[in-house]
Amino acid sequence: MLSHAEWTALLLSVRVGLLSVVLEAPFALGVAWLLARRRFLGKTALDAVVHLPLVLPPVVTGYLLLILLGRRGLIGGFLYHHFGLSVAFTWKAAVLASAAMGFPLMVRAIRLAIELIDRRLEEAAQTLGAAPWQVFARVVLPLAAPGVLTGFVLAFARSLGEFGATLTFAGNIEGQSRTLPVAIYTFLQLPSGDTAAERLVILSVVLSLGALAASEMLARAVKRRLGGGGRA
Amino acid sequence: MLELEVGLRRGGFALDVTASLEGPATALFGPSGAGKSTLLGVVAGLVRPGRGRVVLDGEVLDDAERGVHVPTHRRRVGVVFQDGRLFPHLSAGENLRFPERFVPPARRRFRAEEVVRWLALEPLLKRSVRSLSGGEAQRVALGRALLASPRLLLMDEPLSALDKGLRGQILPLLHGALQASGLPVVYVSHDLAEALQISREMLLLKGGKRVGQGPFLGLLELPEALDLFRGQGLLNVVAARVAGHRAEDAVTLIEPVSGGSGRAAFKAALSPEFAAGREIRVALRPEDVALALAPVAGTSIQNQVPGTIRRVLQGERRTLVVIDAGLTLLADVTRQSEHELGLREGRPVWCLFKAQALRILDAAAPRPSAGTHS
Repeated sequence: MLSHAEWTALLLSVRVGLLSVVLEAPFALGVAWLLARRRFLGKTALDAVVHLPLVLPPVVTGYLLLILLGRRGLIGGFLYHHFGLSVAFTWKAAVLASAAMGFPLMVRAIRLAIELIDRRLEEAAQTLGAAPWQVFARVVLPLAAPGVLTGFVLAFARSLGEFGATLTFAGNIEGQSRTLPVAIYTFLQLPSGDTAAERLVILSVVLSLGALAASEMLARAVKRRLGGGGRA
Repeated sequence: MLELEVGLRRGGFALDVTASLEGPATALFGPSGAGKSTLLGVVAGLVRPGRGRVVLDGEVLDDAERGVHVPTHRRRVGVVFQDGRLFPHLSAGENLRFPERFVPPARRRFRAEEVVRWLALEPLLKRSVRSLSGGEAQRVALGRALLASPRLLLMDEPLSALDKGLRGQILPLLHGALQASGLPVVYVSHDLAEALQISREMLLLKGGKRVGQGPFLGLLELPEALDLFRGQGLLNVVAARVAGHRAEDAVTLIEPVSGGSGRAAFKAALSPEFAAGREIRVALRPEDVALALAPVAGTSIQNQVPGTIRRVLQGERRTLVVIDAGLTLLADVTRQSEHELGLREGRPVWCLFKAQALRILDAAAPRPSAGTHS
């Protein structure tokens, strides 16, 4: 039914999406907690930087990633010279581009969930002997679970739709960075690619709906465990 | 021992308290807005004082001048909050056991089974927090605080969200558990009768300032303190022992522990659920105590106790008479009675109260052998 190239694009998209979520999740949790619960110097600046990919044209984000992580970039140059590691124009770059684009969405969802938690529960946990990281793991995270889940799904969905930053930073290499949107674009450039592009479009819709449905089911399960209703 | 010398400012409110709390229990009493909860917050480390020191058993927890502030989770100061603050994502039993993982086994003071027994938590363990009533939630909250093995327990109006009837049922249970735990407690309340059932050692707070500290009866002699107690239900709480039951007369005989020997036992309404020899506490409201200059014959009043007036405290609407009857009793009389009987210090009087006026609060729970296990 699907051609080899189409299968490759589909599997790559799913893999890049999952990996980018896994990659950015710990950072997003940390940053969301900092923004929700701490006051510190440079908080506004951090908030702005986190949100940057949301407002910048994706191509610009991709270009900035290239400047930072390209073989002659600030960090990329160091990695290449010392470890022979090259990130740009590989599947790793596709993951990074997706992660950067999904990051603000994930942070926002998690931050909102943390801000909704009654701080007094965290105080209670402290009086019971829980250190700050234990309060986070045992109280904040479980109570914020629905929001965290939402953040994961949003970031995954954003990754499925990622185009500009991926193309700029990771290129259009089959099996490396030719994810669904990039593949659709590529097929549309070919004289005979319309049918293949249409198939991929349908696939994209199915995949996105599937992700939404899965997240909805998970969110319901979590809410049931939290005892339904609001989190007072 | 808890030594406090703290000051802090919050908007228009200033807290400025110097006090040293010793002994098993202290009731922190004062009107709303007196700074009671803020003071507890300082001791728990949740509120950082602007200046001063907090020292617990010789360990400096706060020293604002030297920048010392031990974080809450390392203080080993337990708190039972007014609103329980049970974790909604955990069951009652999981809430109870929540702190255990943070306490190294060698430092654990109580076993979960013990705490479950003291607070009668067994039937609640599987329940979801949302399904607990206010009183049940506070019992779980106290159990949870105990299982964190604190050195000091702070209770911040734990029963104020409950209606009065329920409060009366739960207080003895809390008191019993506190006794059994042997932990020093600071108990905040704005209800004097409730505070008195936990401890007669009091720290009085008003407007962020200390008004007085010491045994309740001593505080009565401070004009500012009496002012604070105005409008409050006072209570005589007497440590006593069940001497026996006389089923034919439907009375239970009660011997005050500090009443001296040879004194007639008090008669209370028959309460066979308290076995002879058991240590109990009985409550007697001062307004239920009548005074007479001589024993009264031909009356249904079962208790007539001789004593000497130690103090006469004139309030705006009532006169409080402090009587030394082997134990100290408070009687609340009208000014008219005061004048007609010529009540004044040194005068011998008889305290009269009905058997029904004596209320057995609880059986003092047996203390565990050492209060700890290893």
